[in-house]
Amino acid sequence: MAGKSQKQFSFFERRIVFAMAALGATVLVALWVWLQNGKLQHGSFTSGYVLLGSLFFLTMLGMRKRLTFIPAIGSASFWMQLHIYVGLASFAIFAIHVGPRIPDGGLEIFLAALYLVVAFSGVYGLYVTRLVPRKLSAINEEVIFERIPSMRNQIALAAREMVLEACANSEVLAKFYVRRLAAYFERPRSLAYAINPTGRTRRQLIGEIEELDRFLAEDQRSVSRKLAVLIRKKDDLDFHQAMQGRLKVWLFVHIGMTYSLLLVAIVHGILAHAFGGGL
Amino acid sequence: MDRSSFSRRVSLEGILKNDCRIHDYKKGDIVVREGDYGSSAFLILSGEALVSLVKLPDAILGRGEKRGKSWLRSIAQLWTNSSYPESRDYRPSTKSTKSTGIRTDGDETQVFLHDIPRVIPVGKSVALGTGEIFGELSALTRTPRSATVVANVETRVLEIRWQGFRELLKSAPQLKAHVESLYRQNSLKAHLREIDLLKHLSSDVLDAVANETQFESYGSFQWNQQFKSTSQQDISNRILAEPLIAEEGCYVDGLVLIRNGFARLSRSHGDGHQTIAYLGKGQVSGFRELCHNWKTGEQRPWMLSLRAVGYVDVLKIPVSVVERLVLPNVPVQHLPDPLPTADSNKANRRTGTRQRSIDRNLMEFLVDKRHVNGTEAMVIDLDRCTRCDDCVRACASTHNNNPRFIRHGEKHDHWMFATACMHCLDPVCMIGCPTGAIGRTEESGLVTINDETCIGCSTCANSCPYQNIRMVEINDRNGLPILSNETQSPIMKATKCDLCADQITGPACQNACPHDALVRIDLTTPDAMQAWTDR
Repeated sequence: MAGKSQKQFSFFERRIVFAMAALGATVLVALWVWLQNGKLQHGSFTSGYVLLGSLFFLTMLGMRKRLTFIPAIGSASFWMQLHIYVGLASFAIFAIHVGPRIPDGGLEIFLAALYLVVAFSGVYGLYVTRLVPRKLSAINEEVIFERIPSMRNQIALAAREMVLEACANSEVLAKFYVRRLAAYFERPRSLAYAINPTGRTRRQLIGEIEELDRFLAEDQRSVSRKLAVLIRKKDDLDFHQAMQGRLKVWLFVHIGMTYSLLLVAIVHGILAHAFGGGL
Repeated sequence: MDRSSFSRRVSLEGILKNDCRIHDYKKGDIVVREGDYGSSAFLILSGEALVSLVKLPDAILGRGEKRGKSWLRSIAQLWTNSSYPESRDYRPSTKSTKSTGIRTDGDETQVFLHDIPRVIPVGKSVALGTGEIFGELSALTRTPRSATVVANVETRVLEIRWQGFRELLKSAPQLKAHVESLYRQNSLKAHLREIDLLKHLSSDVLDAVANETQFESYGSFQWNQQFKSTSQQDISNRILAEPLIAEEGCYVDGLVLIRNGFARLSRSHGDGHQTIAYLGKGQVSGFRELCHNWKTGEQRPWMLSLRAVGYVDVLKIPVSVVERLVLPNVPVQHLPDPLPTADSNKANRRTGTRQRSIDRNLMEFLVDKRHVNGTEAMVIDLDRCTRCDDCVRACASTHNNNPRFIRHGEKHDHWMFATACMHCLDPVCMIGCPTGAIGRTEESGLVTINDETCIGCSTCANSCPYQNIRMVEINDRNGLPILSNETQSPIMKATKCDLCADQITGPACQNACPHDALVRIDLTTPDAMQAWTDR
């Protein structure tokens, strides 16, 4: 249905159209501010209002996401594009507003820092939302984030049962499990892994378990191979958790800071008017 | 019917024993509903049935009235959605309405009309008496029932499953002739007119073609059950198990027109078969070969094999008829170029540019997993999906906080075919619903479930080969389970994606995706998928 009437623009064409529109709007604002400054008017009020308006507009993406059933306001993806390009344009307007100086008042420094955190978290978000999905889809299994703890438990249980069955004849696997695998299977990975997930531990454990082969009877070797499969599965699960977690954390920071930014920006606006020299 | 004309393997007694059952209907009982999909034909043993010539209202057919939400009701969803799962104001479906009632006899539920003349006006029906058959075309051709049939007095009816009816046709030539004449008379010309190739034929020529067209069907009517049981088998074996409509390298005996269902076009490749394309309703196979043979006098065989994917109904126009009546009347510019000269390496290969199509492996996947059946399949591009679940939340917010799909499903490369109702072209879920609660909407063709008339029997959920229908226990407004008065067990209802049929905006899932990762798409032809993958 909707798919049939989808997209007249390719992604590339859409990027060009939105980028040109954002650039055009920014140039117009810059021109307006420049003309006002030339007439000895307060151009910073114009750029400030445009910037504040942009910030409010940018928060409307969240509102659009909640109002899924309101027609004729465009799809969430259209709003996301607006959000990206208005966000990028706001950066230029911020630069125009601040001018070639470093903010010096306490409130201004705090406000500028908040803005930069929100802006850079947005740019980072754009980067991770384009990069992480590709990394996740390269993994064979697709995992729902909320189900990861229960899946981890299932894998840990399966590994434990497998080793318990095998340890009746030999202790080699059981000792290895207690020494190297129990913690790996039963615990989530460290913060360092969440920040920079690598396959080092997986490779290391699989290497070690393969080394054990020469001490194992044939039936236990098949158990060790199955354990190696579970090690890979657990690693994939951890990778999903780290990557999907990253996608959630940046959004948490971005949205949380946005509301602080709006609040402080309003206070800044009121103070600017109060001490604006009669404007 | 001559008993001796039946083989010993498939005897008349065997058909009666295995494929038939007797129903006793009381006056007013609805035997078949217009728009329902059915797999049985009916023979009246005694009594009388009325075929309604007027379309009965949806509410009478058990489908309820479809009302879109107003602006205010749409916005009110923000605060009126329940905080409990599957919460609703429940009215037992056994409660009689103005026009219909529901009676339960043992395991069977029967819907009846209180007052036939009030619903079907006098003079707007045809009476069928003892010995007459109805529902046979729908059973044989997998098309919706064209009319509602109601028992006019106490009526005894023999229900014949499609398998048995097909055997009857093979051994009872008079019955076959009767059914074929009905089909030729009522539907065939319209079906032939739908084929692009035959649009240029005059009415007289089309009549002549129709008279010589043969009907064939392949595969199992209940392919969904077979599909479930064989889905874990090796793909090569599954392809080989599909009934052959035409075999690569064999003599081309006619033009094959797909009337219903899907067929796989494959080429032998090494020890296996590679899927090249799939054909759906209205598409033809064999035209290039026939045209080449007609132009050059050569006898080129089928270039590709054509196999039934599930159940396929085909019309076959014999080669002599094609050469005599069809090809001379097709404008020259619509005729394909002759095939390239045969040599050991390039025989049967196209010389011109092949029309762009989706990736072969994806094509194979779509056919193999039967996703080609979906007219509104949910496809997620995992390379763009950030797993934010905005789609799931949007779905829940438009369905009283109950998501109607799971963001999980079959995966091929970076495409996920999520567990959401695909509103299939061949909706096997609609076969056997005792109350008609599941049906197609007339305007959009979407498959929807009427919650009020669903009795929770799970027939639809068990039939769906894609596990896209979920049975849920329903709760009252306080979140407490609603129990059946008779059994004191929780009342179940079938639930699935309705493509937000009552929302002003259309599918909320697609509108809510901020990354253009999710689409509802028609997979019955590869075109839409190709356009989407080419973005």
